[in-house]
Amino acid sequence: MSALLQASDLTKAYRLKSAPFARPAYHLAVNAVELALEPRERLGVVGESGSGKSTLGRLLLGLTAPTRGEVLFEGQSHARRKPGDWTRFRMRSSLVQQNPLSALNPQMTIGEQVAEAVQVHRLSNRAGARDRAATMLEQVGLSSGMMNRFPHQMSGGQRQRVVIARALILDPRLVVFDEAVSALDVSVQAQVVALLRSLWRERDLAYVFITHDLRVVRHLVDRIAVMYLGRMVETGDIRSVYSAPRHPYTRALLASVPTLDPTIRNIAPPIRGELDPGRARQGCAFRSRCPHAFERCEREVPAMRQLGSQQVACHIAEQFNPAPTRQMEVAR
Amino acid sequence: MSTLLEVRDLVVEAPASGVRIIDGVSLSLEGGQTLGLVGESGCGKSMTCYAIGGMLPRGVLRSGGEVRLGGGTERPTIAMIFQDPTSSLNPVHTIGYYLETALHRHQGLKGNDARLEAIRLLERVGIDRAKSRLRSYPHQFSGGMNQRVMIAHALAAKPQLLIADEPTTALDVTTQAQILYLLEELRAETGMALLIVSHDLGVIARLADRAAVMYCGKIVETAPVAELLGRPAHPYAKALIDCMPSIDPEDTEPPRPIPGTVPLLTDLPQGCHFHPRCVRATAECSARFPAPEEIRTSHEVACYHPVAA
Repeated sequence: MSALLQASDLTKAYRLKSAPFARPAYHLAVNAVELALEPRERLGVVGESGSGKSTLGRLLLGLTAPTRGEVLFEGQSHARRKPGDWTRFRMRSSLVQQNPLSALNPQMTIGEQVAEAVQVHRLSNRAGARDRAATMLEQVGLSSGMMNRFPHQMSGGQRQRVVIARALILDPRLVVFDEAVSALDVSVQAQVVALLRSLWRERDLAYVFITHDLRVVRHLVDRIAVMYLGRMVETGDIRSVYSAPRHPYTRALLASVPTLDPTIRNIAPPIRGELDPGRARQGCAFRSRCPHAFERCEREVPAMRQLGSQQVACHIAEQFNPAPTRQMEVAR
Repeated sequence: MSTLLEVRDLVVEAPASGVRIIDGVSLSLEGGQTLGLVGESGCGKSMTCYAIGGMLPRGVLRSGGEVRLGGGTERPTIAMIFQDPTSSLNPVHTIGYYLETALHRHQGLKGNDARLEAIRLLERVGIDRAKSRLRSYPHQFSGGMNQRVMIAHALAAKPQLLIADEPTTALDVTTQAQILYLLEELRAETGMALLIVSHDLGVIARLADRAAVMYCGKIVETAPVAELLGRPAHPYAKALIDCMPSIDPEDTEPPRPIPGTVPLLTDLPQGCHFHPRCVRATAECSARFPAPEEIRTSHEVACYHPVAA
């Protein structure tokens, strides 16, 4: 099967503030990312804030242009898209963001907002668009009686359902979720997780799920990509990455997640420090926080390579095999 | 250890809208212990903290019950840290000014003494190059570093009780692990008690000795944390545990949602507030709120039909 979405050498640089006439400095928000997504595949992208995961999502949807590299959707490059091609692409892709209240128009009813895309693309008349919106709202678990409500008259969970309905009304092939469930209360979050799982089962739909929450993403995706300072450091199917993480950063991330086991307590944090963008210039960007860093990590960027069922960008990833348990990592 | 904090039948209301935010909350905390308060947004866990700290917002009043601090005549010192450290800090003051004024107020330190103590506190909370950081402003720090500054500021008061209201919610998971460990270390070092509030049962599991579960302004269950997580008795506590997504790769069961939504405080259901969402509810539950009952040693639950362990 050919890939639905493909990114190669994808790079986005932002110019940093610098003194007049000084050589310009850049921050590489996304750095040489390679990625392929099959139809109906669900990919999670995780990392700390500042890792470039949201920028990656925007690049994939063509909402911002890459500095280098390209994105292909159904074989066509974003860079070569003409306005008409963009319209077609917009019908086949959508974005769901974190805060539904700011994503929704406070002056439009729920029905109007969900139906809007149908009308914009002239797929149906007004009444037909309304019918489609009502059906879509029911599919996300909202009664069609809510059509005439305004966003402020709904709860946070209901609003996020509206945003999901709006994203899915044109039956897209790709949806990027950027922290779509992070702000919800756990009981509502579990409802939205169940909804996203069932919507996916019924549709020809691929997900890119961007989040900092390693717990939720575990139940939503088939494959996961871990990002650190703009680079992808590990990718693989979710089960193998979670049971045998190879990259020291993935291991630290997973070990940092608080679990419901009250016997795991008073343990030293798995990594010290915070993201340090200054380290991205040369060598492995993670080396300043990595407990295993050695001289080679200073000068050589580790290449992404296949190790078992995973791809890892670490010089010494072999050391972390076989499956170390969470407790072993933690006890280090 | 003696009882440091005793809250009995606390009622907090917003008279203008006639809303009862906290309805008869009772808690107690021994010196040096950690109590966790868990619940979803709007359940009143933050308001409980504000009532204990005597810092209820304008328009919100304590209309009943009592908050007793310390057994003897001497009132223990309380310090508090919040969810969003960057907006809790005054942007026009340097970190040094912020800490030194606190040290002056609480410990009477001045000039160089205050500066040295501020450096020591910053180092203690894990900020490197502390001396040069005294001249930094909050906007030059990350969220995690500002939370460390807040903790250093809290320590300047030498509190017997530290109230931490969602201290890691805005932070990355790696920083969260660091801050939780720091709080645990400091608690052990100083012997202070800790009241930790979180919507995340994982955070509570990592820090608390005992935990109380709140729903719609009431405490529905209180138990030692291992007991609460292992043998929850209140259907809401159990449901809250079941809807926490697990990261265990062998556990493929998705989080189990709780049907319905948290009711508005202006429109609370009669009787037990959880009954419309509860699978075990009977007619009794919609008639009267169940009184808390001790089902095992120091394990209290307010439910007519508790889940059998």
